[in-house]
Amino acid sequence: MLVWPVVAIVGAFAFAALALGRGEHVSAVWLVTAALSVYFIAYRFYSKYIAERVLQLDDARPTPAVRHNDGMDYVPTNKWVLYGHHFAAIAGAGPLVGPVLAAQMGFLPGTLWILAGVVVAGAVQDFIVLFASVRRDGKSLGEMIKMELGPVPGSLALVGVLAIMIIILAVLSLVVVKALTSSPWGLFTIAATIPIALFMGVYMRLIRPGRVGEASAIGVVLLLASLYFGRAVAADPNWGPIFTLSGTQLAWALILYGAIAASLPVWLMLAPRDYLSTFLKIGTVIALAIGIYVVAPPLAMPAVTRFIDGTGPVFSGALFPFLFITIACGAVSGFHALISSGTTPKMIERESHMRFIGFGGMLAESFVAVMALTAACVLDPGIYFAMNAPAAVIGTTAANAAQVISSWGFTITPDMITQTAQDIGENSILSRAGGAPTLAVGMAQILAQALGGKSVEAFWYHFAILFEALFILTAVDAGTRVGRFMIQDMLGHVYRPLGNTEFLPANVLGTVLCVGLWGYFLYQGVVDPLGGINTLWQLFGVGNQMLAGIALLLCTSVLVKMKRERYVWVTLVPTAWLLVTTLTAGIQKLFHPDPRIGFLSLARKFSDAAAQGNLLAPAKSIEEMQRVAFNNYLDAVVCGAFVLLVIAMCFFAAKICLQALRQARPTAQEIPPMASAHGAPA
Amino acid sequence: MKTAHPAGPESGPPGLSTPSAAPTLQERGRALRQACRQVFGIPDYDRYLAHQAEHHPGEPLLSRREFYAQSIERKYGKGGPRCC
Repeated sequence: MLVWPVVAIVGAFAFAALALGRGEHVSAVWLVTAALSVYFIAYRFYSKYIAERVLQLDDARPTPAVRHNDGMDYVPTNKWVLYGHHFAAIAGAGPLVGPVLAAQMGFLPGTLWILAGVVVAGAVQDFIVLFASVRRDGKSLGEMIKMELGPVPGSLALVGVLAIMIIILAVLSLVVVKALTSSPWGLFTIAATIPIALFMGVYMRLIRPGRVGEASAIGVVLLLASLYFGRAVAADPNWGPIFTLSGTQLAWALILYGAIAASLPVWLMLAPRDYLSTFLKIGTVIALAIGIYVVAPPLAMPAVTRFIDGTGPVFSGALFPFLFITIACGAVSGFHALISSGTTPKMIERESHMRFIGFGGMLAESFVAVMALTAACVLDPGIYFAMNAPAAVIGTTAANAAQVISSWGFTITPDMITQTAQDIGENSILSRAGGAPTLAVGMAQILAQALGGKSVEAFWYHFAILFEALFILTAVDAGTRVGRFMIQDMLGHVYRPLGNTEFLPANVLGTVLCVGLWGYFLYQGVVDPLGGINTLWQLFGVGNQMLAGIALLLCTSVLVKMKRERYVWVTLVPTAWLLVTTLTAGIQKLFHPDPRIGFLSLARKFSDAAAQGNLLAPAKSIEEMQRVAFNNYLDAVVCGAFVLLVIAMCFFAAKICLQALRQARPTAQEIPPMASAHGAPA
Repeated sequence: MKTAHPAGPESGPPGLSTPSAAPTLQERGRALRQACRQVFGIPDYDRYLAHQAEHHPGEPLLSRREFYAQSIERKYGKGGPRCC
């Protein structure tokens, strides 16, 4: 085929443009094109190798969808349709936030890790977990670990998943808090999604049952209306202040929202909001891809900045290992192992489709991460650092921020900062770490150039915030429910009635515990002296990559148990890399002597100062100092637990693999190839 | 006859279950709507009716309202893992 050499040449040309264009601004089109070429080539050659040689996919084996075809959950689904469905399920806020934070090191380190990571680790993990689940009747990750590695690792993995979920809910909520603090326009449009979702829920349930399309069309129109009127609301002398909340107020509002939303019937708010957010998500991703090619904006961020040495203002820690845990989703995301063993395996029509859906689906998510990185890097670097550096470093005025940031070598004037804020219809852009606002400004600049010009930049900005906040709030709602079920499941082992999900007091207890846990971390992040994201995002990154490590350990064990050990490097190489980076990062987060990196040294710094009666900013009392110290000890415990968990899983997997190697026959517990149709009509 | 074989009638592109004639514009429109529903995870009552008619003829059918309520409960009842 002639097309593959052409793709290779285009890719090489794009990389050359990136490599040779130093000192002048390179067009973002080269970055995106280089990424696409890597994806096509990896898909064509590497995924084919995995599908045919390593996994030996076999279309003669009936999939769970075919065996159990019930017209509802188990449905053999057209491969393109399922690709869209799977992508919508795996794409969340993760690939949008991590790359934006990592942009402080320049556009090149992040891009290279996203591309190498997805091909070697992320897509391989998604593909092989999907394969393992399809061969086990659509079982979940936890069940498969129990089946293949044993009951103890299975329970350990479940505890790990719950811990990671709590941290994810906290950090996603923190992203929303950072985006909406003192932003009445943003908060009004987000708040408006609640009555809109309730209306849609009632419409689909009672007025026109099951008419999701109609309700969604009305919902989208109402959303756009709220976006339009948000500007007037924000400017109104009476309504403006009502929607202007501080960080701690927003944190409490989100905690309350989480508790109530997760207790409502699912049809009332969760389902309609999920439809809205899925429409917006897919629409916006496509619009951004088109926008980048139409506008072809130059990359303003240098290829590599001096912050690879670990002194960056957005997050602390050197390129190795912290780049590799800051960008999780987009390169490799452990959470995908839960989706790839969730609804998707129940809809796979033929085994050979898994290559496109598992491997190819992850490539699309990686592309979203590359676009997010691009959007952050087309911003003026001065603006990028003004938005992402904490107030403790750059102060709270435009003049002060401009002076500090210019001293780093990124020249910027106070006027540029205030002008940017004005363009997007906000009072201030300073210290809005968390990814969402930065991405929104980048997207607004790209989309406004493509459509509408400077005058509509403020609308695009708030549209981008709406789009991110909408699916984060959906994740908070759904995640709190999952967390509640997991907590109740665990409590049920201690005292049986607490595990009964039909028992209202037990449900309330489960919900309160779940919301309380993530709410605690959220609140702590909001009042954190270093801006919260610095702590929580890295804790999340460590947890998520460790989950990926666990999933890849499962994949490795499955391959060995299938007696395919000669191909085991396919999963062993990414497993080893993830273990090295996350264990190094985890241990540095624990024990690093620099208090900006190590939890324990920061805790000690605050507790020592408190003991001597010295106040350290931004704490205003000795009690606050002690709270900062306590929170950091707590973070250290969570981080330490992740490290121990992954070491334990390594041990279990190694034991199982050694056992399997001694066996002459495959010992993997797959459904036999000719299993008869279950419940098929005679 | 094993209807569960991969090449069974339900495995073709959605909405094209009558192989006799080329699809009309109306059929293509229906196939597109069904595909959209599946991508976004929207409960598909028409597909349910077709499935019941083919595999369980004569059994009592859920009304559209009941089918929708049950589908939503199954999909979201346990929260379902949502990606970061």
